[in-house]
Amino acid sequence: MRPDAYSIIIILLTATVESGTILLFPIIGEIFTQRSGILNLGIEGMMIIGALAGFATAFITGKIYLAFFMGMLAGGLASLIHAFISITLRGNQVVSGLALTIFGLGVTNFYGQKFVNLQLAHTLPKVIIPGLSRIPFFGPILFKQDYIVYLSYILVIVTWFILYKTKVGVHLRAVGQNAEAADAMGVDVYKVRYFWTFFGGLMAGAGGAYLTLGYTPFWLDSITAGRGWVAIALVIFAMWNPLYAFVGAYLFGGINALQFQLQAIGTTIPSSLLSMQPYFLTFILIIVATLLVKAKHIGVPKELGIPYAREEK
Amino acid sequence: MLRFEKREKISVQLRILIPLISILLGVLVGGIAVMFSHVNPLTVYKAIFIGAFGSTYVFSETIVVAIPLLLISVGLILVFKMNYWNIGAYGQYIIGAIFGTYFALNSAETMSRPILLTVMCIAGIVGGALWALIPATLKAYWKVNEVISTILLNYIALYILKFLMYGPWRNPQNFGFPLTKTFDLNAQLPKLVMRTRIHLGLIFGIIMAIIIWIIIKKTKFGYEIRVIGENEIAARYTGINIEKNITIAMIISGGLAGLAGMVQISGIIHMLQIEINPDYGYTAIIVAWLSGLNPLTAMIVSFFLGGLFVGASQIQITMKVPIGIVGLIESSILFFLLGGVILTNYKLYYKGRKII
Repeated sequence: MRPDAYSIIIILLTATVESGTILLFPIIGEIFTQRSGILNLGIEGMMIIGALAGFATAFITGKIYLAFFMGMLAGGLASLIHAFISITLRGNQVVSGLALTIFGLGVTNFYGQKFVNLQLAHTLPKVIIPGLSRIPFFGPILFKQDYIVYLSYILVIVTWFILYKTKVGVHLRAVGQNAEAADAMGVDVYKVRYFWTFFGGLMAGAGGAYLTLGYTPFWLDSITAGRGWVAIALVIFAMWNPLYAFVGAYLFGGINALQFQLQAIGTTIPSSLLSMQPYFLTFILIIVATLLVKAKHIGVPKELGIPYAREEK
Repeated sequence: MLRFEKREKISVQLRILIPLISILLGVLVGGIAVMFSHVNPLTVYKAIFIGAFGSTYVFSETIVVAIPLLLISVGLILVFKMNYWNIGAYGQYIIGAIFGTYFALNSAETMSRPILLTVMCIAGIVGGALWALIPATLKAYWKVNEVISTILLNYIALYILKFLMYGPWRNPQNFGFPLTKTFDLNAQLPKLVMRTRIHLGLIFGIIMAIIIWIIIKKTKFGYEIRVIGENEIAARYTGINIEKNITIAMIISGGLAGLAGMVQISGIIHMLQIEINPDYGYTAIIVAWLSGLNPLTAMIVSFFLGGLFVGASQIQITMKVPIGIVGLIESSILFFLLGGVILTNYKLYYKGRKII
């Protein structure tokens, strides 16, 4: 029975990576948005806008990578509403983010109606990487995926590098820690914040698009099912470090894949309790993460949620 | 290009005008969205208006929706005033409904109607309050972000409801549908107006709005809440116990959301099922914010958004305009309101020219 159990684990972990990728993009994006001092709670809204834009493009044109790009772009455009309200107009960021979520859910319900229950003919194709995919155990899990998953691996490393090893990263962190000092240093606080809020939107859109193009290739109302909120929780769990974004995303992905498999096999555990598990896990994670952040003195970006008004200084 | 300059004193006219203009602009955006799907926005809005206020019956239905919105939003106002967030009314509403149902299913034969209904109301309040106490405690003692914890608890509450409905509480006589049995008359909240569905909950809502208004304006607790909202550091410095105030406000707010869930199933649905409209918990956030965190204004706003919901539900059936239009309009109103607030404190210059 050993090889059987082994292949089940491989299947499970492969699904973990797929499910985790949906979250990995938005987590990375929000890490950078928050690092700049902007709290965007609208991830759920931007994700679902990206999910529909991606799905619709793929459905109409059949071009799957164009669809992914359109999903990303749609998420980015949606984030600009939040950026304008929070950065230029100094509005309440919590409520604006909530409004963005309500907006996203409303707009996709409105324009998505004609796609409900339709399915894509082709999803993102799997691309087996020669060599790497032959690594025992990890090979088939990590390197028999699609291009978007590979993109997410690169993204984690590149964004980590940008954040800690480049001038752009220094400026970003400065703006998030002390906007006034950053301004005095000659950093354009508004520009930095606009850019990284937009980036957060692009990434949320990417996560949403991956959901409908790779993971579940059909359209349903509210298909993101709260993943945007989970992503925000996992930003704290990652302690605002792109490298740790992996951990939270794949933990959630793993428990999601597991409960899915259990439901498919048919256990005696009620499906409602299984479906609850990813959210319950995230709930526990957010408590653990908060305590960890406090104990290790890894601070929240100090300017998080505080508007910057230059002319008053 | 855009530049802001502080006003010497806050503009009172703008403070009243901005919410009204925001509503107009939000409705305008909704209209543009409708045009994109090749429907005449004027026809749509006329149909929404008639669907919400056009006859005695639909008018009463608007009030029916306004009841839970009002009950939830006045509680939220307490929390929002402190600059803290309860996004968990959705879950608190569900748990309140579940707690109330327990007595409706188990005590209908042993209790008289007034007693049973009182017990159910208290159970609803307790259920919602307990569900709110979790994030409140986590916030007060461990600083766990309450926005995220309350939202995650919403999903957990929904799955608890699903578990009960597909499991122990499913009535076997319903051909497998996830419904409880219809409540005995004992467990049904009395109607207030004949031939409508308006129930006693309306009185609860109005009384609660007034009580919360008094709490905010006239009590020490209300005073402390306002101080915390304006400047938390100063509040702590003057010896205000912030943790205690958060916890109390969250309990009240959760209790009212729980009561809203209870009156909805006891007064309207007459059974527990999966679809019990917990989304009112999110709409109530918009009500609270649109009303400028004033419980009395919340009565008008609840009625307005209740009408939007009822009217839009009608055109979803008659004109096939998706219900998402509601979220689209509501969020647009919020965007304009949030963005517009700056004008009460600042003058706006565009390319050096004063605009407002």
